[in-house]
Amino acid sequence: MQIIVYGTINSVSLALMALGFAMVYGISRVPNFAHGALYIVCGFVCWIFLNSLGLNYFLAIILSLLVNALIGALMYRFVLIRVRGMNISEIIGSYAIGLAILEGLRWGGFKGMTYTLPVFMEGSITLGGVPVDYHRLLMMIIGVVLVGLLWAFTHYTKLGLALQGMAQDERAALMLGIDSDLMATLAMAFGAMLAGVAAILILPLGNIVVESGYHVLIMSIAVCIVGGLGSWMGAIVAAFLIGFTQILTVVYIGSHFQMVVAILAIILTLIVKPSGLFGRQHELEERV
Amino acid sequence: MLEANELMVFYENMLALNNISIQCSENSIVGVFGANSAGKSTLMYALSGIMLDIRKKEEMAGGERITISGDIRFHDQDITSLKPSLRAKSGIILCPERRRIFKESTVLENLKIGGFLATKAQAKDTLEYILHVFPALKRLKSRIGGFLSGGEQQMLAIGRALMAQPKLLLLDEPLLGLSPLMQATLIKATKAIQKEKKISIIVSEQYARPVFPIVDYAYILENGAAVMEGTRQELMDNPDVKSAYFGV
Repeated sequence: MQIIVYGTINSVSLALMALGFAMVYGISRVPNFAHGALYIVCGFVCWIFLNSLGLNYFLAIILSLLVNALIGALMYRFVLIRVRGMNISEIIGSYAIGLAILEGLRWGGFKGMTYTLPVFMEGSITLGGVPVDYHRLLMMIIGVVLVGLLWAFTHYTKLGLALQGMAQDERAALMLGIDSDLMATLAMAFGAMLAGVAAILILPLGNIVVESGYHVLIMSIAVCIVGGLGSWMGAIVAAFLIGFTQILTVVYIGSHFQMVVAILAIILTLIVKPSGLFGRQHELEERV
Repeated sequence: MLEANELMVFYENMLALNNISIQCSENSIVGVFGANSAGKSTLMYALSGIMLDIRKKEEMAGGERITISGDIRFHDQDITSLKPSLRAKSGIILCPERRRIFKESTVLENLKIGGFLATKAQAKDTLEYILHVFPALKRLKSRIGGFLSGGEQQMLAIGRALMAQPKLLLLDEPLLGLSPLMQATLIKATKAIQKEKKISIIVSEQYARPVFPIVDYAYILENGAAVMEGTRQELMDNPDVKSAYFGV
């Protein structure tokens, strides 16, 4: 029972971390290695709004998400747009931005264990004999709702459909008047916002520390590679796979092996099925 | 309606379009015929502005150097350096070679993505119209695009382009690889669309024969240059055209 409850919680938080990364890659083919940095930035921005400016918690969350979206959009507009289509340069560019942000934060004094966000709801309930606090429960619910909303967004709204079109064939979308740079900027903003949502939901469970930015980046890459780059379904399935494996290793082997699981998952996937569980259907041949 | 003057396109030093001038007037169908590598697709890309995007991408990746010259006017406005997305907005929609439909989306989603530039009412009307012109798509609505046959994909591609509310529709090799029966269906539909939607169509094709009956004016391309042009009747009467393109 314990394994099921904690495994699910862990999986949902992994899925939350990876969604933004999967979305940006799926739409604009930019591997956003600044994902972890965006995650942490949102935590600190929210903390500043909350503590230095004394805003209401809800307002602080909304504002910090918007700030994050803006950072994402600017990142694309001014840096990544110039190296678009060159994978190595995209990785180097976005990773450099991520490093600059994370180390800049550390240099700016955001270190140590003093930064925390409050949980949404105090208290806990028992699920099948396992105590679960309300915040974790809420995180699970919001996570599921978020995935549902994203699905509806991409299938039923004009913008979502346009993003889907661009993800599949950028030039064909361009022929229909869908501007690829504008869409990629939007995708980046959405991705940054999703990183922010993950941060707001997960960070109250611990401290806001710069190091977890790297951790989040590695975890989301692991999830996306196992699930198949660019596939959201894959990312969610992979999050559950890795999430449960992690909890199982914690229970039966030791808590130090959590990261090993993620890295091993990457290596195994690349050896056995490089396109991931749900990699894009390359085998679908064109019919002439 | 559309007027292109002295269009030239170079890939590095290779001449892909050699000083082509073409015109398309309101409510007409213009044919562009030529063998493989005669420059049909390049011409379509140049007119729709996709060439600018290709040039940009090549430049960024340090690939081929593409040079474009000449000028293009649409509705008496100079659109030579207008971005492809804005050209689409002004009504020039390209239905590309090899269809390029969105293979992982359903037929209905493909059409909806095509309706990005349309208002809600326009999208609804056009969707109805497409199902009226291509009744075969009706029962395929929720089929995944990649699983359609070639002919069905082509219908979908034309439908998707129509959703974008074109004033000038560019059809690049719409008959490629299709059976004669499907070719006839598509040609009939193309004529119907032109008449009922009151738009202009430029259609390029390797084999002139199936398309020829519906064109008002046609250009014949060879090695990137327009070697011959004229109304349907003029070209039909020309013995060179007869032997080269109709095998008479």
